[in-house]
Order: sequence, then C-alpha cells, then structure tokens
Amino acid sequence: MSSLKHLAAAAGLAAVALAAATASAQDKKPITWWYETAAPENQENLQTILVDPFNAAHPDQSLSIDFRGAELDKQLRIAMLSGSGPDVVYTAGPSYVAAMAQAGQLLPLDDYAAKLGWNDRLLPIFLEIGKYDGKLYALPKTYETLGLFYNKTLFDKNGWQPPKTIAEFETLADAMLAKGIVPFAAGNADWRPANEHYVSIVLNSIAGPDNVYKALTGQIPWTAEPFVKAIDTLNKWWQAGYFGPNYFSLSGEQAFAQVATGQAGMAPTGTWNFTNVPRYFPANNAEPAFVGFPSAEGVPYPIYALGVGSTFSIAATSQNPDGAAAVIDMVFSDKFYGDMNSAWQGEWNTPLKDLSKVTMADSVLPLYTQTMKGLAASVSAGQYGYTTWTFLPPATDTYVVSGIEEVWLGKITTAQFLETLDATFKQDREQGKAPAIPKR
Amino acid sequence: MWLYLVPTLAINLMVILVPALLTVALAFFRWDGISTPVFIGLGNFSALLNDGVFWTALQNNLIWTAIFLVVPIAMGLLAAAMLLVARRGSTFFQVIYFLPVIIATAITARVWQGMIYSPVTGVFGLLQKTGLPLTNPLSQPSRALFGVATVDLWHWWGFLCVIFFAALRQVPQEQIEAARLEGAKFFQMMRYVLLPAIRPTITLMMIMTVIWSFLVFDFVYILTQGGPAFSSEVLSTLAYRKAFYDLNVGQAAAAALVISLFGLVATFFYIRLQSKEGAP
Repeated sequence: MSSLKHLAAAAGLAAVALAAATASAQDKKPITWWYETAAPENQENLQTILVDPFNAAHPDQSLSIDFRGAELDKQLRIAMLSGSGPDVVYTAGPSYVAAMAQAGQLLPLDDYAAKLGWNDRLLPIFLEIGKYDGKLYALPKTYETLGLFYNKTLFDKNGWQPPKTIAEFETLADAMLAKGIVPFAAGNADWRPANEHYVSIVLNSIAGPDNVYKALTGQIPWTAEPFVKAIDTLNKWWQAGYFGPNYFSLSGEQAFAQVATGQAGMAPTGTWNFTNVPRYFPANNAEPAFVGFPSAEGVPYPIYALGVGSTFSIAATSQNPDGAAAVIDMVFSDKFYGDMNSAWQGEWNTPLKDLSKVTMADSVLPLYTQTMKGLAASVSAGQYGYTTWTFLPPATDTYVVSGIEEVWLGKITTAQFLETLDATFKQDREQGKAPAIPKR
Repeated sequence: MWLYLVPTLAINLMVILVPALLTVALAFFRWDGISTPVFIGLGNFSALLNDGVFWTALQNNLIWTAIFLVVPIAMGLLAAAMLLVARRGSTFFQVIYFLPVIIATAITARVWQGMIYSPVTGVFGLLQKTGLPLTNPLSQPSRALFGVATVDLWHWWGFLCVIFFAALRQVPQEQIEAARLEGAKFFQMMRYVLLPAIRPTITLMMIMTVIWSFLVFDFVYILTQGGPAFSSEVLSTLAYRKAFYDLNVGQAAAAALVISLFGLVATFFYIRLQSKEGAP
C-alpha cells in the first residue's frame, strides 16, 4: 500500500512538473527563421553561437532556425504570398527586397533601427541598400567583395609580384601560361552565376565604379564605351585561355583548391572563399594572400566591389516582431561577429562600422581579419564598387550570367551582349524592380 | 454510383485543374510572383517568340524527342527480345537493367557529373591522363545536350526494356514456336512475329516519350542548368529560369503552355489509339 502511495505521489509530482514545463513552453513566444543550406558543422555553429545564447538571454522568447536547403528563396516567396512565412525573413538579396516591400510583405524597420542603435552601428551604405520608398526594410546579413587570391609561395618562387594595373596583370597571366600554370582558378560547374563575378570585376576595375553608378542610376546606357572596353577585355582573357580548359567542368571549390596546389596562379573571386583557405593551403604547404583586383588606367586601386548575398527583414504578418528584431540585433553585435567569424569565416561579415572592438579567436587567419578591417575602412571612405548580383535587378542579373557565356563562346558580340543587357535593365527599371542605389 | 468518382474528381480539381487554369490565366499577365499581376494580353507570348533562347529551347526539345524516340526504344526492344530468347538469367538482367531507373535522378546526375564526365575526379579525367583526347561533353556547347541525354538514356532505357519484355511475354507461345519451326531467324522473328504483336505497347511508349521529352527538366537542370551559353536549354529550364530567377512568372506560364501544347497533341493521339483499341 505504501509503495502504491509513493508511486501515486511520484506520478503526481511528475504531472505537476510536466504541466509547469508545458506552461513555461507556452509562455515563450516563438521566433521562426528559415535558413539556407549549411554544412552540419555550421548548423551547429548557428545553434551554439546564436540560438542557445539568445534563448538563454531572452527567457520569454524561443528562437528556432529551420534549415530549408538550396530552395529557400522559392519556398520563402510562396510562404510570404500566403502570409505564412517565418518571423525573420532571410531574402536572397536586396533585389528581392524591393518587390516584397512593394507587396506589403515586410515590416518597416526604421523604428527598430533608431531604438536599437542600428543607425550608429552599421555602415550607412548598407542601410541605404535596404531602403524602399524611403523606409528601411532590410539589413544585409553579410557583405562581401571581389579581389585576387594568390599563392604567395608560388609567387615568391617565381619572383612574381601581385599586380596593381591591368597591364601588369596581363603580363603576369601570360607568364603563368608560358609555365603551364592556369592563370585563373575558376569554375562554374556547381554555380553558374560564378560567371558574373568576372563581369563585376571588369565593370568596376576597368570601366570604373563611377561609370557603373551612372549606368545603375540611368545616367548612361550599358552600351557606353567604358563597358565595351571592360567586356572586350574579359573576352580577351577568355580567348587567351586565362580561365583554363575546365571552367565549365570544375566546381568553385575544386577550382580554388588549384591555387593552393599551384596548378593555377590566381583566383579572382570573392571573400567567401576565405572559408576554403584553411582547407587547402596548409595541406599544400602554401601561403595564401589576398589583394584588391588590379585597376585599369584612370580607375583608382583597389576598388572593392560590394556584394550583399542575403538580407534580414521582419515579416509584416509576424506575431512576434519585437522578438525577431532582438534576434537581428544580436546578429549585429560585436560579440556575435567575433564568435561567428572565429568559427565560420566568409559568411558572416556583418556590416559593422567599427571592427576595432571585435575579438577573434587566435586560430583565425590574420589575413582574413586584416582583409575585413581594410574592407570596412575602404567602404567607410567611399572607395567601393558594385557587384552585379547586388545592384542589378533580377532579369538583368540572370542575363549577365548567361549572356557572358555567349560572348565567350562566340555566339554573340560584346555590342550585342551590352545591347540586350541595356534593354533588359531598362525594362526591369520601368517595372520598379531595380534595387536602391546609394548615392556616391 | 457517381459518389465513387467524387474523391478522384476532387483531387483532380484541386491539384490539377485549379493550378492549370491559374497557369493559363497567368500567361496573359505580367507578374513577378510577389506583387499584383497586371494584364498584358498576348505580351508574354510575343516576348517569347522574339526571344532567340525560346527557339533554341524548342529546337533542343525536338532533338531530345527524336533521340528518345529512337535510341532507348531500340535498345529496350533489342534487349527485351534477347531476354525472351535466352531465358536463362533473364530475371538477373531485368534487375540490372532496371536498377538505374530506381536511383534518384539527382544522384544519377551527380555521379555522372563528378565520377564520369569530370576532368578532375571522373573517368574522363583518368582517360585524359592516359593520352585519350576526351573532354567533358557538358562543357562543350555542341555536345552538352547530348551529354545530358546520354545520362538520361542510361537511366531510362532499362524501364522500356522491362515494359517491352513484359509485353513480349504475352505473345502467344504457339506463334513463336510456329515461327521457329518455319526456320525464322532472330530478326525475322522480330520483324514478323514479335514487333507486330506488341505494337500497341510500342506506340503507347512512343506517345509517352513525346510527352515526357517536353517535360524533361531534372537532368538538364542539375548537369548544365541549360548552359553553356543556352546550348542545352529546354523549355522547362527556360520556364524555371523565367519564373524563379527573372521573376517573370507570366512568361514562364506562357512557356509552360507551349510545353503543354505538345503534350496535348501527343495525348490526343494517345486517346484516339485507346478508343480504337477499345472499339469492338
């Protein structure tokens, strides 16, 4: 009888505890966030660096991240249409923000920006990019730039110096070809839009960011002479074999690995490739280096073309906008920058104005820290350019990706490419699809 | 009695008819998939007709259809007839031939891309090192479509083989025995006995091949995304790009209607064939 009583008491206690736990879970306000593809170790990084500390610091909130894979963008657009999307809206880039804001799917963030101090903490240009009709709707998760990775060990062995002008760059690339080294570590087998990295490079470093700005704001057409020169030069590099024989067969990572092995000399690519540096360079006893891409005559050196891969917004239908804003606020903190970039480089370069208070782990490559600090300083000083995937509207951007292949493969001329680019851009712009272009 | 039809009718209405009608309607609107659609009449169709890539995609679909009407059907018929003649081990070979069909297309595509065609990690790369002048077909504009078609052929022909073998097994044994007694050789047996006996199956498979060929998407999208320089673009990848990258859902719907048009023609022939067979 006594044991029965004990059992009943234990069951009663368990029921009370369960009820309390359930009530506590019910009191917590959920915050949902759909994220794109992430490797298992990076999913773990997000859990331990963001989700767990956030939930611990906000006992009344319950943040959860749902990894939706490569098709996140399509799923998100459909969910937003039906008003059933997540609280934290993670878009594929600023060009998607304009359409979503226009459709009333996003909450203006101006009040949060003022209240939580985002206006003081973030680089102003990135606040401008996220605006639509004068109101702030999105903040960039990370910003990136294009430059030149190279194998310093290989350069030292051959007595090569990193080039600063296009003429030096071409002389160097020809020297590499003569030695049987592929000048560009490049491949688009897994990501066809890699094509536009090279278009962005020549538009900014050969035509110059001032001309790109004028074209983006409709002051000059894309058929103007500086762009003809830029695309002609890119085509000349392709025809000269700078991209190597396997551009359409190699994935971006396979191509990048070739710089470390010395099969390729340089990788004109984005800062996201810092994530691949520790994977390939130490194993090949090679020292990595990164510099700005060389500039043509009359264009300052270096020009860092700015890219924003994805953005944060809050859904207009969110039941917990304050919670979503608190999550975004945490992402834009010095601590999160330091912790996340110590564990996962190249993906979380949040646009903080001042990185001097950020502490990174000792294991982080000094080259990465220096590059990011230099980039933030260049952007602050207004020395930046424009990547196609951030500043061109969607149809124009997809045309750049496919059209440049047609130029390379001799199906169309530079003039035809630029004419179609200009026509598509004008059409996109007339339909209000062009993203905001911050004043220079 | 009519109540029995309600469940399937309801599913068809909700899952097929409503989205189909919406697609037809969207073909006459300009819509980015997010904001309010704007009616533009035949604007999407005229834009498509003036787009060179649309004609390349249509041509590629026609080439694809021609390839799939000949190669896998011929391979399937030949292998099925062989299985019928040499019964020993036929179950084993059926399993082997059918295996590629049950592997997910994404896996098949990645295996071919990374382990066969790749000049770095694939068989082609190994053969290149031995001096054979092999290049990845997916990287050549003149061969990209055929490179993708080869992968789909490998994946697909076993299915046809098994279907044809099942049909051939229904051919009355007496006819085959009689032909044998008359001294018919293998190809005579095929020409005068087996092929005429399974003609309805072959015709049905050919009609379905036309429909499926205009719907082809997965292998093209995974292996080349329609490139290089649109050389392997087909109508479905064009529609996908328009809808999800260009945010031009109206033109994507117009392209989808063109795909359906070819499907409808094939379906018309299929229904006519069915009714002929069903007629007393």
